[in-house]
Amino acid sequence: MTPPIVADFRAGLIRGELLVQKCNSCGKFNMYPRYACPHCQSESLGWQKASGKGVLHSFTILRLGPPEGFENELPYALGVVKLDEGVQLLGRLVPDADGEWKSYKCDERVEFAPMSAEHAEKRPCAWFKHAKT
Amino acid sequence: MSDTWPLNVDAKSPNDPVFVGIGEIPSGKYPQRTFIGDLTKVAILALKDAGMVPRDVDTILLIPCLHGFTDQADLVFSRMVEELGLAGHAKASFMIHSGGSTSDNAVRAASGLIASGHARTVLVLQCERWGSADVMEMINSLSKNGIPGEWELPTGVQFNAIGGLITQRYMASTGSTPAEMASVCVALRDWAQLNPNAMYRGKKLTVEQVLASRMASDPLHVMECPMLADGAAAFVMTSAENAKKRGLDTTVRVAGSGGCVSHYSIGQENDLAALGWATAAKRAYAQSGWGPKDAQFGEIYDSYAAVTTIAVEGFGICEPGEGARWFAAGNASPGGKFPCNTNGGLLSAGHTGVGGGTALLVEGVRQLLGRAESERQIKNAQRCIIGGSGGSYMDAQVLLLERTGKGGAK
Repeated sequence: MTPPIVADFRAGLIRGELLVQKCNSCGKFNMYPRYACPHCQSESLGWQKASGKGVLHSFTILRLGPPEGFENELPYALGVVKLDEGVQLLGRLVPDADGEWKSYKCDERVEFAPMSAEHAEKRPCAWFKHAKT
Repeated sequence: MSDTWPLNVDAKSPNDPVFVGIGEIPSGKYPQRTFIGDLTKVAILALKDAGMVPRDVDTILLIPCLHGFTDQADLVFSRMVEELGLAGHAKASFMIHSGGSTSDNAVRAASGLIASGHARTVLVLQCERWGSADVMEMINSLSKNGIPGEWELPTGVQFNAIGGLITQRYMASTGSTPAEMASVCVALRDWAQLNPNAMYRGKKLTVEQVLASRMASDPLHVMECPMLADGAAAFVMTSAENAKKRGLDTTVRVAGSGGCVSHYSIGQENDLAALGWATAAKRAYAQSGWGPKDAQFGEIYDSYAAVTTIAVEGFGICEPGEGARWFAAGNASPGGKFPCNTNGGLLSAGHTGVGGGTALLVEGVRQLLGRAESERQIKNAQRCIIGGSGGSYMDAQVLLLERTGKGGAK
């Protein structure tokens, strides 16, 4: 069984929303979602739809030796994004028109790029693209 | 409240924990060797190096293997006690595990047992069979374990991608060039030419060769990624009093240690160009009372060049942001002013899983004891900085080692 904490987050991605966990007791955001709030230890935790906007801390383009099941997706780019909400996560980056990622640079603004429900179901992770200024 | 405190022992304490012997066999692809055979071999080598026999050991600490669960279970359930003839004699045999920093934590555990009196002589054993294991199985194992399944596995991240994320951030933060990054690998390869146990002995490497190799996970080239290897190493620690009683005049003590666990998930590291290195070093220096200027060399985890360049900066061995250029200038190479990873490191001695850190630690002790081959031996090696890291560089562990007694290389 997929635990509710994971199922809720993934349901958000399928709806085209990036959810971050919010503590009902202290109001702080937690990412990745936790079973108890690391700030106040409360187990009363909910969700908030993130702005989706943030800064690209780093990224890489995997070209060789993917994990099993990812062979047909090569090459693909992974990025660590620091959201404006003050939390961060690892996601995928949308390629440029030429299928590469030459336009991406560390510390530039990016935003959440919702994928189709079908895609989000298969690969339940957040995608990001260049932010529209 | 301070996050540092002094050790409960010093160089004059009878129960000060000290290294008295090391053992290692060559790293590389050795399909004809066996797991238990290799462990037995390094155990005996380390004990002989200490002038001991198995019966002198009361406690065995096992460093885990990653190539298979069955072999790991053999370690957990005390097979080595039986293999070494210590059944009924050994007080305890157990495993310590924090991935690549295990050896550092094993030293802490052994030190604690010896200093407190729960153990007198501890044998620490490590063997990995990665080089002879099925490559796809190992890639899958490394891609599925130690990465949060709920939040990061769906992205398709794996170990080289983690190295790529750290390297990209490091290069962006410091302005280091691809050639400067590649020079780290070349420096390590130069050291490997002097180490009979290194996987890449006899295979020179140039910056041009590194840069001409394919991209594995931008900006990491294939030749900047570690090669999985078979390998085994062991060391023996005992109390200073016991060492003295046995006539072991030259030993290596732990002057202090510091650590920083900075994340579990790579996506949760606050600064991929910093990791936990600077914090760990600060804590270690506060405990030992000595710093980078007092040491002659370092043995620092290097599964990717950036991990090590970030460390030499964090340790204060070079200026902030200058790690890669410092390596490129030859400072860490054979003949350099602060030799680093004198066995060739994980990148050129071979990535023996959890053992990569053990090999670096053993090399540090070997140099301090003055027992490296003459062309590799650092003259007047008195103090060494050991750096280890596990998982997705989740932690930074620093051990500050110093020689006691008059022996060692002059």
